[in-house]
Parts: sequence; C-alpha cells; structure tokens
Amino acid sequence: MIDFHKVEKHYGHFHVLKSIDLHVDEGEVVVVVGPSGSGKSTMLRCINRLETITSGGLTVNGVAVNDKKTDINKVRRDIGMVFQHFNLYPHKKVIDNITLAPVKVLGVSKTEAEKTAMYYLEKVGIADKAQAYPSQLSGGQQQRVAIARGLAMKPKIMLFDEPTSALDPEMVGEVLDVMRTLAKEGMTMVVVTHEMGFAREVADRVIFMDQGQIVEEAAPEQFFASPREERTRTFLSRVLSH
Amino acid sequence: MQFSILTDYFGTYMEGFRGTILSSLLALAGSFLLGTLIAVFRISTARGLRWFGTGYVEFIRNIPLLLVVYIFYYGPSAFGLSLDGFTAGTIGLTVYTSAFIAEAIRAGIAAVPKGQTEAARSSGLTYVQAMIHVVLPQAIKLVIPPLGNQFINLIKNSSVLTIVAGLDLMYFADIVNSDTFRTFDTYVFVALFYLVLTLPLSYVMRVWERRLQR
Repeated sequence: MIDFHKVEKHYGHFHVLKSIDLHVDEGEVVVVVGPSGSGKSTMLRCINRLETITSGGLTVNGVAVNDKKTDINKVRRDIGMVFQHFNLYPHKKVIDNITLAPVKVLGVSKTEAEKTAMYYLEKVGIADKAQAYPSQLSGGQQQRVAIARGLAMKPKIMLFDEPTSALDPEMVGEVLDVMRTLAKEGMTMVVVTHEMGFAREVADRVIFMDQGQIVEEAAPEQFFASPREERTRTFLSRVLSH
Repeated sequence: MQFSILTDYFGTYMEGFRGTILSSLLALAGSFLLGTLIAVFRISTARGLRWFGTGYVEFIRNIPLLLVVYIFYYGPSAFGLSLDGFTAGTIGLTVYTSAFIAEAIRAGIAAVPKGQTEAARSSGLTYVQAMIHVVLPQAIKLVIPPLGNQFINLIKNSSVLTIVAGLDLMYFADIVNSDTFRTFDTYVFVALFYLVLTLPLSYVMRVWERRLQR
C-alpha cells in the first residue's frame, strides 16, 4: 500500500533520509520509533507529500507521490493525518472542523457530512462536544476530534505524527485507546511515537530509525525482547529504563 | 462661527456627504478584496504571481495617492476612454489602499501557524480552498487593528476626489465656500461630517478587537 524505494532526502547539506526502503501492507500497523531528529516525522510526512523527496521512489496505492503528473489532492483524500499539535481550525466548531474536507473535497452534502461527523465523534467518545470550539476542549479531546476529522474522509491510510507527545500524561490513554480500536478494525496505520507500550501492544511491525536510516525492523515481540542492532539496544535501554 | 451656513447649505453638504460615503464604501470593499488577493499573490509559490504582487505593492504604496488617482483620471484618455471624477477617484482610492491592506493581511497570513495549512492540505483541500476556509479567516482576525487604521485613512483620503471633481464632501464644501466666503466656518463643518464617519468606525474597531481578545 505504501512503498518507499531507496528514498533520499536532503535539506541543503543535511541528509535527512538515507536510502529508506519500507513497505506497508493494507491493514498493517507500523510503528516508527527512534530518537528526536532521526527523520521519523520527515519520513511520515513524505507519504502525503507534506515533504518532498530528493530521489528514489515512493508510491501510495500504486501512485507515484512525487510524480509531477500526480494530482496530490486526490492522493491525500485517501490518507488521513493526525499531528502532534492537533492543528484543529480554531475559528470553526468541532463539527465544522470535521465536515470541511468531506464537503469541499468529496462534494458530500452538508447534512450527509454532519451525519458522518457525528458518527465518528461518537466513535471517539465526544459527540457532546460537536458544537464546541477547539479552545474549549482539553488536549486529549482535541486530538480525538483530529482523529475523527481524519476518519471522516474515510481514508485508506491513517498517519499519526507523535499524536500523544503534546498531551498531559493523564490524557495520553484516551487517545491511544481510540488508536487501538482503529487498529483492531483493520485500518492501515503508520504511527510515529514515543509510546513504547503502544508499539509493543498494537504494532504489527516496529521500525527503529536513527540518523535518517532505518536501523531495524521487526515484529514487536522480537524488537523489544531481542533487538539485533547495538543502536537499537542502546535506544531501548534509555527509553525503557524509566 | 456662523451656524446658518450649516443649515442654509445642508442639502449641499449632504450631497457631498453621500458621495464621500458611497466612494468610501466602494473603495473599502474593493480594497479589502483586492488587498487580500495581492497578499495571497505575494506569498504564492508561483514566482510570476509573487513578483507581480511585490511589484504592485512597492509601486503603489511608494507614490502619492494623488498620482494614483491621476493615473485613473487622465490615463484612460490615452486610450480614447474617459472616466468621471467619482469613478476614477474611487478606483484610485481602492488601488492605493489595497497596497497597504495587502501588507497587513500578508503579515496576518504569516502569523497563522503552519500546521493549519498542513492540516487543511493533508485533508485534500487545494491551496486556494485552504486559504479561503482555513488561513484567511484566521489571518484577518489577527490584523483587525491595522485594517481599522487603513479604513479610517481611506475615508479621510477620499477627500482627494475633490481634485478630480469627484463630487465628494470637499468638492461640495468648495462650492459652499465660494458662495459664502466664510472659509473657516465652511470647513469646520466639513471636519464634523468626517468625524461622524470616522469616530464610530474607530469605536467599532476597538469593540471588535476587544471581543476577539477574549
């Protein structure tokens, strides 16, 4: 479903992504971990072309994301994205945050879009906040709205860019619960996170990145119990020790 | 002070007052739309649009208002056309003000967090849709105080119409003056008419700003 083939990315002299090869199957949950600045988020953002790649091949559902002839807006319809800082539209009510793209991009009627929006708000457990503004919600609630907003486009893939990193600790659980449910329902997900517990429990595959490279890639049991690479072991000993 | 001037010539004043209001309203709406468009051009990734936007702003805001009005008053005659003073003056006023509004709105757009555009674009919205529905509404909220200043300037600047016989308040005041020869009194009343427009506008802008701060 998502295919990276020898993807390279440079920011000027900074080599951010080094020969990335990655394949994500339909229905798979891939969790990407690694130290800050290792290129995890950049890699994720390449998938929907929020970042461009310098060379190599990257296809989503068989479409070359960086091809000039590709209509990127069409590709993006099928890829939901959830950000670290939620990025809800502060001037719009929760319900209007969710209906904007279905109405404008898919051409769904306003009533239809609102019905769908309510369905997903129900699903993430905050249907009662439909008429509130984002600033009236807690961080955890905002992030759940953001997930509902992504889902309302009925995407084939959901991308999560450190979805719990900006949350107070007591709100991390509610967001992870929603993501867990989503994974169980068979959504294709790529998740960049520091939540090792989530990775261990939910991931089909864990990717460890360091300095722009994919260092290790394994099933979670193996990844956490017996990592092959020295760098992975060092990283895990640091993040799991506390 | 001869208050009879105001009462005797009230109709004349009002005719000019209406002209000033009409010209100001048209230029206000026009310069807001044009300024927003130019602001979007200035930050566009398309180089041609960016250059055009920058060229427009730098040219227009660095020449006198009167000259901009002359361009539209005398310019068309080079092509065998002609615009009346009111039309040419209002267009000139619109174009001139739009350059300043473009700068204010550009600053507002720059102040909207990048994540907003990213969220909008990643959901499949086009650049233009993301601008219209997500970025601009937030940008404009941020720049209400400078926009208010521009709108007040615009109303006062509309007095330039008198030079091209634009049928505004100043133009009709000149008629009152040449009738009465009470120059000072005549123009004191003109000032009052302008204040009737600008003071409430300042007030509305302040209230609006305060409400948004909450």
